Amino acid sequence: MEKFVQKTFPHGVHFHDNKELSKDVPLERMPAPSDVFISVSQHIGAPSSPVVAAGDKVVKGQLIAEANGGLGSKVYSSVCGEVVAIVKKAGATGAVSDHIHIKTVESEECMTLADIDKNDAQSVLQRIFEAGIVGMGGAGFPTNVKLKPSKPVDTLIINAAECEPYITCDYRLLLEKADQVIAGANYLAKACGLDNVVFGVEANKLDCAELLMQKGAKVTVLKKKYPQGAEKELIYAVNGRKVPCGGLPMDVGVIVQNVATAFAAYEAVELNKPLYERAMTVSGRGVNSPKNLIVANGTSYQDIFDFCGGLNEDALKLISGGPMMGFAFIDTSISTTKTTGSILALTKKETSLMQPSPCINCGRCARACPMNLMPMYIDFYTLAGDYDTAVKYGALNCFECGSCAFSCPAKRAIVQSVRLCKKKLKERK
Amino acid sequence: MSKFVFGGSPHIKSPKTTKGIMIDVCIALMPAVIVGIVFFGLNALIVMLISVASAVLAEFLYKICFMKKSPRDFVNEFDFTSMVTGLLIGMNMPPLANWYIPVIASFFAIMIVKMLFGGTGKNIVNPAIAGRIFVFLSFGIVAANGFIEPITNAGSGFFATGDVVVAGSTPLGSMLKDGDFWATNLQLFLGNVPGCIGETSAAALIAGGLYLVCRGELDFRWPLIYIVVTGLMAVALNGFNFNWFLPSIFSGGLMLGAIFMATDYVTSPNTVLGNVIYFIALGVITAVLRHNNGTEVVSFAILLMNLTVPLFDKYIVPKPFGFVKKAKQAKKEA
Repeated sequence: MEKFVQKTFPHGVHFHDNKELSKDVPLERMPAPSDVFISVSQHIGAPSSPVVAAGDKVVKGQLIAEANGGLGSKVYSSVCGEVVAIVKKAGATGAVSDHIHIKTVESEECMTLADIDKNDAQSVLQRIFEAGIVGMGGAGFPTNVKLKPSKPVDTLIINAAECEPYITCDYRLLLEKADQVIAGANYLAKACGLDNVVFGVEANKLDCAELLMQKGAKVTVLKKKYPQGAEKELIYAVNGRKVPCGGLPMDVGVIVQNVATAFAAYEAVELNKPLYERAMTVSGRGVNSPKNLIVANGTSYQDIFDFCGGLNEDALKLISGGPMMGFAFIDTSISTTKTTGSILALTKKETSLMQPSPCINCGRCARACPMNLMPMYIDFYTLAGDYDTAVKYGALNCFECGSCAFSCPAKRAIVQSVRLCKKKLKERK
Repeated sequence: MSKFVFGGSPHIKSPKTTKGIMIDVCIALMPAVIVGIVFFGLNALIVMLISVASAVLAEFLYKICFMKKSPRDFVNEFDFTSMVTGLLIGMNMPPLANWYIPVIASFFAIMIVKMLFGGTGKNIVNPAIAGRIFVFLSFGIVAANGFIEPITNAGSGFFATGDVVVAGSTPLGSMLKDGDFWATNLQLFLGNVPGCIGETSAAALIAGGLYLVCRGELDFRWPLIYIVVTGLMAVALNGFNFNWFLPSIFSGGLMLGAIFMATDYVTSPNTVLGNVIYFIALGVITAVLRHNNGTEVVSFAILLMNLTVPLFDKYIVPKPFGFVKKAKQAKKEA
């Protein structure tokens, strides 16, 4: 007997979520590493401008880079120490940006922001900007901008679907810090004048759903299916509204925020603490002891793996983010950002190294596509150079969730075709 | 060099492969193959072995001679599609077919219909059907002869051949020509009637189809639509005589065609609406042509409809999630 009504969206894929590896490991704070490299480009807007220079002493929580432009975000130091240099370095996506290199010194010193009026929507919104909070689910969209919609909204949905396999940091946050996450969600709602907050929780986290309900939060239980946590699919499952193609959630009166973002908002408003650390999952069968960690911003992946007992012999593919939408990396010296929710080391058994073979037109990709597109033709026409026809089959509506490529028996690189198509169309303009 | 591998997302893939699907299809065909051997003896087995071997050989020769691949490449790339094609061709042969007929059918199917058009997934019509039609049209009476009574009925041994029956006196043939229902529905269902090796037993073919449905390789709706529409059209064309329903769907090549050939991924539409129209059209064409020609036409109907498939996917494109009509949007903004 199902305890809750489970809501969902059409299509999507089912797979084993592998969350058992790290599900029961409580959040643990990782000690500050000896060196951090904090990127000035951790969000989608213009890179922030460093306000410190080589040789400067900084303390934890000190502003080190100022926001630039409308989609800018502030960056804070995650450790106490001395700025060594500002260096150009590649991030997880491969994009090169300025990183502030800080050598850590032992110190308990910590800087906080000033107290604010917690009941005033304007000052809460300002605080979210001050604290440098961005969408921590992966997009890195400045939260303060998202909370100022240009259209009337009536619902704030907290995305607790966590539909990517392996990742459990949101689950642990909800389980261990439910009160704080709920409070944070309420601050986010207050900042944009809403009182309707709904948590969308996937059915593999029923304990979280029950806990949230006990605490009086509104919860919608979602079917365990990928990509249940994608914005449009989440909104449809929670309140049945369809975000129009090319539109934003606010077009249907909804704002979506991540669990980690809500927690960061709580810390910023209640504890006056800017965003310089976050919860993340280190998992995969290539890691000796999978963990859920609270990691200082700018910690190198190598340090994190070392803290989790190192990588074992079988580790074959390293991924920043989830296995469906994350980025593979081979250089473990890259460092974490505000949007790094997980680092995985997959073994040969877990990942797939099969080479693409010809499409057999089986239609599994179209049946999996949450956007109801025809990925086989997007792939075909993109590779043939006919981008306009690829658009007809939906290339521009694709958000690259990877459901098609996951279900493809011919192992075709459909997501990469979509990206190629979008890039070529952009170049043409 | 790093010991780690690099690659694009998604980093996990479903365990299903083209090879796995094709092996599943071979497994699903096994009940009908076994029933065929039981009813038609060792000759049937030999015919099927010849056609499978020549289909695989044809692919091998094509890749070696025309694509300059090494035998090793051939083994690595071998995805069992030619084996399925060969098996289907064998199942579509009369039990006493001359040895060269399945060979020619398989070579034509693989070399001309499949490989020349670009290999797996690029053929515009089903290779097995094209191969079968090619030999039946080219060799006429030679290819159409060789139907026998099931050896189980004759009571002769496993190695003996049954009595040769006259072409056209298969249950479907006499039904369409003379309105003579000499075979019982049970006989037709089990398959101990004269016919092509793999097509007579509806029971075995349905069992194979159910296996594919359970393995997630086949959507049961499509063969069901085809079969039911054919049966109902036969009923309608014969003055709403419902005695026609079961014999129509159990006899001839309909079960084999509907479950294993018309539903071939490569040569069927990709949308739900497209498939509904496609399979209804197949059923109507099959029943009407059967009625008018007095002979079995399933393979011709499928061949004809195969050619229309690109049109289905060109004109029936599903609306994306959150699609807003242009007019509606303009009205809203105004």
